[in-house]
Amino acid sequence: MRHTFARRFALAASAGMLLSVWGFPVLWALLTSFKTERDVLAYPPKVVFEPTLAAYRDVLFGASSIVPNLVSSIILSLGATFLTLLVAVPAGYALARLELPTKRASGFYVLATQMLPPVGLIIPYYLVLQKVGLLDTYVGLIVIYLTFSLPFAIWLLVSYFEDIPREMEEAALLDRAGRFRTLWYVILPQVRGGIAVTTVFIFLNAWNEFLFAVVLGGNRVRPVTVAMFNFISVEQTRWASLAAGAMIAMGPVMLLGLIAQKHIVKGLTVGAVKGGGRR
Amino acid sequence: MSRGGSVSLRNIVKRHGSLTVLKGVDLDIRPGEFFALLGPSGSGKTTTLRILAGLESHDAGSVVLDGRDVTGSEPGERDVAMVFQSYALYPHMSVYENIAFPLRMVKTPNAEIDRAVRESASRVKIAHLLERRPGQLSGGQQQRCALARAIVRKPRLFLLDEPLSNLDAKLRLETRVELRKLQRALDVTAVYVTHDQEEAMTIADRLAVFMDGNIVQVGTPEEVFRRPVSIEVATFLGSPPMNLIPARLAGREAAIEGHRLQLESDYGAEREVLLGVQPSRIDIGAEGIPAQVDLVEHLGDSVIVDLALGATRVRAKLPERTRLAEGANVHLRFDASDVHLFDPQTRQRITA
Repeated sequence: MRHTFARRFALAASAGMLLSVWGFPVLWALLTSFKTERDVLAYPPKVVFEPTLAAYRDVLFGASSIVPNLVSSIILSLGATFLTLLVAVPAGYALARLELPTKRASGFYVLATQMLPPVGLIIPYYLVLQKVGLLDTYVGLIVIYLTFSLPFAIWLLVSYFEDIPREMEEAALLDRAGRFRTLWYVILPQVRGGIAVTTVFIFLNAWNEFLFAVVLGGNRVRPVTVAMFNFISVEQTRWASLAAGAMIAMGPVMLLGLIAQKHIVKGLTVGAVKGGGRR
Repeated sequence: MSRGGSVSLRNIVKRHGSLTVLKGVDLDIRPGEFFALLGPSGSGKTTTLRILAGLESHDAGSVVLDGRDVTGSEPGERDVAMVFQSYALYPHMSVYENIAFPLRMVKTPNAEIDRAVRESASRVKIAHLLERRPGQLSGGQQQRCALARAIVRKPRLFLLDEPLSNLDAKLRLETRVELRKLQRALDVTAVYVTHDQEEAMTIADRLAVFMDGNIVQVGTPEEVFRRPVSIEVATFLGSPPMNLIPARLAGREAAIEGHRLQLESDYGAEREVLLGVQPSRIDIGAEGIPAQVDLVEHLGDSVIVDLALGATRVRAKLPERTRLAEGANVHLRFDASDVHLFDPQTRQRITA
């Protein structure tokens, strides 16, 4: 009993510590977003203050409204997510089923793309996009996002497809479903969780992306991450507006996280424990 | 209900790289027959079934169903249903939807689907479980669900891949009987893969014994059991398997450890043979071939006695009341009509 009590206490303490480390900046930003620019700079910091929506008004309807940038972010994220899934789902299925000698190598390739430091790719990407005239376009940026998200998504989905016993689709084939309906009615419903996880990962990556967007985007394509950066300038940093923008930008992320929470935890452990379905 | 289909396999060859899994399998299965493919693991029986279903390609030969060559056609075009060893139920669908699936795939009207699903489910006694998911069923119920899904569309051929191997011993015996009744009632041709010789013996009208990628014997269970064609078949069947005792054969006589045994027919010139006799055919008495009791195993309804006959070990299955002390000297007896003779070189049965 003592042992379990000590364990639980230690767990609770470490969870509390982690939470405060992660939670404090969010809390600080949340409070800041309701302050006036004067209150933000007050010293000692004010915990009790008169809340105002001025900063929110500013970022939503002011001269430097981030609404167009939110739209930009949504187009980029949805575009990248949709195209990734469109290719990754069939590709993951194929890779899981085909006995390819290059299967192991492709796994390494995927990891390699995730290991490359993105900074090293910026200049080549810039030059390529410039040559083909896709700088500061949605297509250009989405294609760049795909180079990272596609291998990752395929790699993630393969493990889900592999968990489905082959006999399941053989049964469907004998039940006269044919290849396509077997995939649609029998296989895909069983990898729903995996598709959900992949969607969340790809969407969040695209939503949070900053480095490529700031270099390869421009006046036409400027996602909210880049727009918020503009609140910080040499003369003045508008902390309250920055915080309000951050709160708004966090919205979709937190919403998605809450919706997909269950799937994400499963998704992260899917590679760790393989079910008995494999032969 | 229409009578099931006939099956002909002609010279089926299957290779996996350099390994030849099937070395020219020929097989004829009659309409309405319950046919077992029996053999040890790796002998090619499951591969044969999968080729029959169209789930696996083959390198030579042809598959003919009801007189039509279906070689190379898709599994869905062959009008065959299969029960998998793992059942392969669709986990995201209810039992009802699982059974309805084969009908939905051919655009059957809903009313007809409903009627057929309920009929199939009640045939295998799972009509009360239709709303459940496969994960909420016991192993036996899952197996019934897989059966219902297979029979719902009245296929001409019903394939079963070790369908009972995931059930516990008691349930296996019950299901075996029910499966047999079901097949009779539906009058459908069934092909049944098993490595369990007892299962094949009890359930099948006829069976084919697979060894190392070949069919070595085809016949009724009784024929195969009474006249195994080779040492391999003889020692694969029966529990415990047939005893093989080195003997010298000359004319109408066989000599075992100096003891002479009169045979039913004349086998001609003198030679070395292996003399086979089923454990259940051996009796212990005051006269006969001398042997020593090594070990006595009680099985409840019978006793298995391990005997040393010179350098050969012989097992006898005796009535449970037999009282034998380990180490005792006894005498073995068996009828000449229960003797099988095999050539130790070719390993084939010797006929007079």
